[in-house]
Amino acid sequence: MVIEIEDLEFRWQPGAPRVLAIEDLRVAQGERLFIKGPSGSGKSTLLSLISGVTTAATGSVRVLDQALERLGSIKRDHFRADHIGYIFQMFNLIPYLSVVDNVTLPCRFSARRRANALSRSRDLDTEARRLLRQLDMDHPDLHRRAVTTLSVGQQQRVAAARALMGAPELLIADEPTSALDADRRESFIQLLFDECRASGATLVFVSHDASLEPLFDRTLDLAAVNRAAPPALAGMGEG
Amino acid sequence: MAILSLAWKSLLNRRFTALLTLISIALSVTLLVGVERLRTEARASFASTLSGTDLIVGARSGPVQLLLYSVFRIGDATNNISWESYQDIAAHPKVDWTVPISLGDSHRGFRVLGTTGAYFEHYRYARDRRLVIDQGQRFEDLYDAVLGAEVAEKLGYQIGDAIIVAHGASDVSFARHDDKPFRVSGILARTGTPVDRTVHVSLEAIEAIHVDWQSGARIPGLSISAEQARAMDLTPKAITAFLVGLKSKIATFQVQRFINEYPEEPLSAILPGVALSQLWDLIGIAENALLIVSAFVVVVGLFGMLTALLTSLDERRREMAILRSVGARPGHVFALIMGEAGVLTLLGLVSGMALLYLSLILGQPIIESRFGIFIPLGGPTPYEWILLGAVLVAGVLVGSIPSYRAYRLSLADGLSVRI
Ligand SMILES: Nc1ncnc2c1ncn2[C@@H]1O[C@H](COP(=O)(O)OP(=O)(O)OP(=O)(O)O)[C@@H](O)[C@H]1O
Ligand SMILES: [Mg+2]
Repeated sequence: MVIEIEDLEFRWQPGAPRVLAIEDLRVAQGERLFIKGPSGSGKSTLLSLISGVTTAATGSVRVLDQALERLGSIKRDHFRADHIGYIFQMFNLIPYLSVVDNVTLPCRFSARRRANALSRSRDLDTEARRLLRQLDMDHPDLHRRAVTTLSVGQQQRVAAARALMGAPELLIADEPTSALDADRRESFIQLLFDECRASGATLVFVSHDASLEPLFDRTLDLAAVNRAAPPALAGMGEG
Repeated sequence: MAILSLAWKSLLNRRFTALLTLISIALSVTLLVGVERLRTEARASFASTLSGTDLIVGARSGPVQLLLYSVFRIGDATNNISWESYQDIAAHPKVDWTVPISLGDSHRGFRVLGTTGAYFEHYRYARDRRLVIDQGQRFEDLYDAVLGAEVAEKLGYQIGDAIIVAHGASDVSFARHDDKPFRVSGILARTGTPVDRTVHVSLEAIEAIHVDWQSGARIPGLSISAEQARAMDLTPKAITAFLVGLKSKIATFQVQRFINEYPEEPLSAILPGVALSQLWDLIGIAENALLIVSAFVVVVGLFGMLTALLTSLDERRREMAILRSVGARPGHVFALIMGEAGVLTLLGLVSGMALLYLSLILGQPIIESRFGIFIPLGGPTPYEWILLGAVLVAGVLVGSIPSYRAYRLSLADGLSVRI
């Protein structure tokens, strides 16, 4: 199992209402999981827990057979650097780094991903360009441009290349397509699938766009699974 | 380290504000070290306003007062030295040379100093530099005057111009020696010392303009013309002070004691170097104030950096979330901002020093000719290194404020990107 969640209860502050209460959630290796749920239902919070940025006071979150709550915060940051690629909804790129530097960024924080990247290509920049080429971003002119001048779709592909850099086992994408139009949305997801298949990575994909659902192996409706969700929101989730 | 190269690239990306911050730090460093260097050199140059002279002798008084009127032409002597005593001490076997000084008259606010040719031979300032006649020559005729550089420049005098000397320090019409005008025979090169503000005439000339004067006023009914005075015996009856050069410095204290215990009249002999540093201690408070002010300018420069970094943080919260998502620890975020503060401070120090040396190279000749202060271009002194180190430490302390804030923000935000 890549992700195993048991009896998880999470609140942002002690005494605050529960945001998440999940009894059991498992994601197998190579699986492509679609998580849907209305806004505020705790999707991003769940991803924070899986990527070890926050930990829950009760329950267990195991990623790649490692119980994250047993690790100290520094170890968890290391763990994330080594094993997880993360894609945000938009504005994924560091404005003062070039396209290639943005893609190689994880290798600055993880020796493991650096080694993985170097086992594929002769240097990090070459590996970054290889990934960009796979994602249809191989025009050298694009690499030279300031990242802030790229279109949203192009930025998301650079972000995907960064998440894939150094072959992490788990790819997490938090609504990465919500700023894209329908056509680009699907081709972006296909590219992501291809790359995950090629590297054997597991994909956890969050969106409230139910039309993407059929593309994935499995769907998780957070509103249904999350026992902490207020009824009003849970109801919205069904609609 | 990887995070430093990120800091560098981030600064390059915001190069306009970064440059402004850098300039303000650099300028403040230039000012701080410049003031420090100037004040050290001003002290050194002040201490060598008069060099090569072993003793200054005047009527009995405190050393600072004697120094003030004999060297700086400030204030007046309480008493004179009789010509006989002067002759007697000048003949002392350990004495190599003497330069008599007779003060009391003025010309349009500048003091008139009566002396002999020995003045031009033995007067030394700075590091053993002697007086140089820029135009014309020393006084040859009885009514010749040699002007200091500033006197000639301020009053626009040239060789051959006539000047009227007035009795006392104030130039009022009834006290003018207008019956005996002087002619400018020479103008001295600039020294940056009180010599520049002095009108030099011969001792005999001082005697000549006073032949028909007594107790500071004309003797009623007595009028001796300039030409008549030439024929008279113009040996001075008294002088104000004199400079002494000894054959050997070892005898300094022996001769000093001899003069201080001189039986014929009460005299004081002082060591110029000691008296000069006593005087500097009196006026050195201003110099410290200047250094403190420039230290505050550095603080202001660093606060500019603080403001620039703090205001940038809000728009950088997304950047921090991205960094956290690729595995950066909050500590890395701290290091990133600290790196920027460190780079700005270090570059500010380096370019501030570069600017200082550039302005020293350009300003050195001007400062030397205007103020007589020669500022050497040597590397930083130990004290300057301490100042530079203090600026660096202050920069790091100031930088830790936005760094800590960024650390707290990235800890609280995690991966949620807020704007
Ligand atoms: N860093 C945080 N500190 C405190 N509360 C937070 C934080 N992040 C999210 N929350 C709260 O937790 C709840 C769940 O938010 P979350 O961002 O997980 O929802 P979401 O399902 O991702 O919504 P959306 O679809 O709008 O992104 C919300 O009530 C939100 O206000
Ligand atoms: Mg969300």
